[in-house]
Amino acid sequence: MRRDTLLSTTLLAATLGLGLAAGPTQAQDETPITVYGVKSLSGGNASYGKYAEMGSKLAIDEMSAKLGRQIDYVSIDTEGNAGRAVRKVQEAIEQDGARLFNGATLSSTALAVGKEVNEAGGVFMTPAGADEITGSECNPATFRWSVPTYGAIQQTLVPYIDSHPDAKRFYTITPQYVFGEALLRNAKQVFADKGVEHVGNSYHSLQEQEFSGYLTNAMAANPDVLVLLNFGSQSSNALRQAINFGLNQQMDIIMVWSSGLEQLQELGNDNIDGIYFGAQYWHEADTPANRELVKKVEEAYGITPNYPLAADYTMTKTLLQAVADSGATQGETLIHALEGRTYQGPTGEETIRATDHQVLKDYYLLEGKGADEMTDDSDYADVVSSGRSFLPPEKSGCQM
Amino acid sequence: MLNVYLFQTLNGLGLGMIYFLISVGLTLIFGLLNFVNFAHGAFFLLGSYLCYTTVTLTGNFWLSLLVAPLVVGLLAWLLERSLIRRIYHLPHTFQILVTLGIALIIQEASIMLWGPVGKSVPAPDLLRGIVRLGDFAYPQYRLFLIGFAALVAVALWLLLERTRFGALVRAGSESTETVSLLGTNIFRLFSITFALGVALAGLAGVLSAPLRGANPFLGPEILGVAFVVVVIGGMGSFGGALAAGLMVGVVQSLMASLWPQGSSLMIYAAMAVVILLRPYGLFGRA
Repeated sequence: MRRDTLLSTTLLAATLGLGLAAGPTQAQDETPITVYGVKSLSGGNASYGKYAEMGSKLAIDEMSAKLGRQIDYVSIDTEGNAGRAVRKVQEAIEQDGARLFNGATLSSTALAVGKEVNEAGGVFMTPAGADEITGSECNPATFRWSVPTYGAIQQTLVPYIDSHPDAKRFYTITPQYVFGEALLRNAKQVFADKGVEHVGNSYHSLQEQEFSGYLTNAMAANPDVLVLLNFGSQSSNALRQAINFGLNQQMDIIMVWSSGLEQLQELGNDNIDGIYFGAQYWHEADTPANRELVKKVEEAYGITPNYPLAADYTMTKTLLQAVADSGATQGETLIHALEGRTYQGPTGEETIRATDHQVLKDYYLLEGKGADEMTDDSDYADVVSSGRSFLPPEKSGCQM
Repeated sequence: MLNVYLFQTLNGLGLGMIYFLISVGLTLIFGLLNFVNFAHGAFFLLGSYLCYTTVTLTGNFWLSLLVAPLVVGLLAWLLERSLIRRIYHLPHTFQILVTLGIALIIQEASIMLWGPVGKSVPAPDLLRGIVRLGDFAYPQYRLFLIGFAALVAVALWLLLERTRFGALVRAGSESTETVSLLGTNIFRLFSITFALGVALAGLAGVLSAPLRGANPFLGPEILGVAFVVVVIGGMGSFGGALAAGLMVGVVQSLMASLWPQGSSLMIYAAMAVVILLRPYGLFGRA
């Protein structure tokens, strides 16, 4: 072969080689990341889904700019129905190659979607509340932001009892199903540990909206404190009716699992004044990440962030950061990048526990305010106490 | 000292009067028009929301008691003249389909107009307090409700039993053909009755708003209660709606102390028993 042919061939080969070597990296930087938002945009939990979606979109805009890559967002409307949600998720996985998921309001949806995503080797970040999500039904794909029942009870009842030594008699109202039972079990443990009396409990069905009968039972038991272990519209109605019956003048009322700002807004000052609420997130929490979040949400949407927004924002942002750090958009590499990850979250420094994928974060005890005590439109409550309590991993029931 | 069961019975009677108000409109519509109105809960919902809007705009709850049922009734009258009257002759399943569609439209429209988050409606200032009965307290507002529902019951009874309109409604429910042949404008009678029945649902919605707030998903729950009461009492029977409403209310309240988790269940169990023993309801006719 002639010398220049050899030289040009070698140069060509070298260029091609370099080009090929550079090729995949370039393609990787250019491949858009797609996050699939599993949100209850219609149906019974539409109010939740609307804010959750705002949170995810905000995180995506932020991370897109920060990482300098295209990040797409696809919405999946669960319609508040686990079955429909799973079918849509399956479609996304099979037809669109979806692997990164965030959201779910109902625990039933979260559990079902988590299973599907796990089988596909994807990752699913969720704020849903049932203990099982990072307990007996945990799987490698699922990561959960909210504090489950143990922590919710510990961070509401314990600080309350410690600061109210005269409160000796507690009456509970509990929805009769797994989640309610878990709250009740944890509550009973606290009552026993603190040496206060559990003077009675009324169970009710998940459809119940008329609480006058149970409130009558509560009145008959003459407690110092009424503890509401239900949530959503049931907790709102139970509280409304309790106030109607004048119970707030005879005893303190604690709603252990409130959804935070939008529930307080719905109830209005008359129904929250002097009432205690447990919450996963409060916009007035004084942490660097939360102050930033409040500012960003005000700029982007002109509102104060609430729990669904903060939860999905935090989870989407953390997921995307892990994708960027690990270079993986699915599978074990990404999962390992999330496990043990510590970041600045709205409740302070938050850590994703490796053993069960539970985020270790604060839970808040709030006290509702009257209209004349509010310093601005969203100042519905003050933080009375906050902290984190989690069962040790061996006790959570998770085996991955 | 009042025994808790006695108090639960009292509470149940109060609840029963609310249930009566919720279901009397439904039974009227079925009685005369032989029409199954699955949008009944949605009109209740509209009443609640209109109450919220009126109270927010004017601060006057009593005004909403007038305005909301009128608006809902007017809407129903327009709906009847345009749509409902075309389907009277169709089997009940079609009526259910159409009214279910209307219910969904109203529900989604509520979300568009008022947002997906629920609203609270405060009780009027006059009725914010409680009445003490020994160890127990009963809200003044619920006492007012019992009284008001009783007034409505009496007014309705007078309307049905002592006016020409009422006579036509009762006669028409036995045989519309005969009434029509005797010279009555049966279409107008139907329109007015439908509007009245729906307006009563709207009124129930207004009265219920301080108790339950207004949220877009009240409709199906209220419809369920209304149907149970109407089936137990007998479809088309005014007296049946009253008796069944009270019965359901008392059962639900007593169960809250006897077997709390079963209190909703027992209502449906009671309905099942009634259907088995008296298929047309306690006061219904074949």
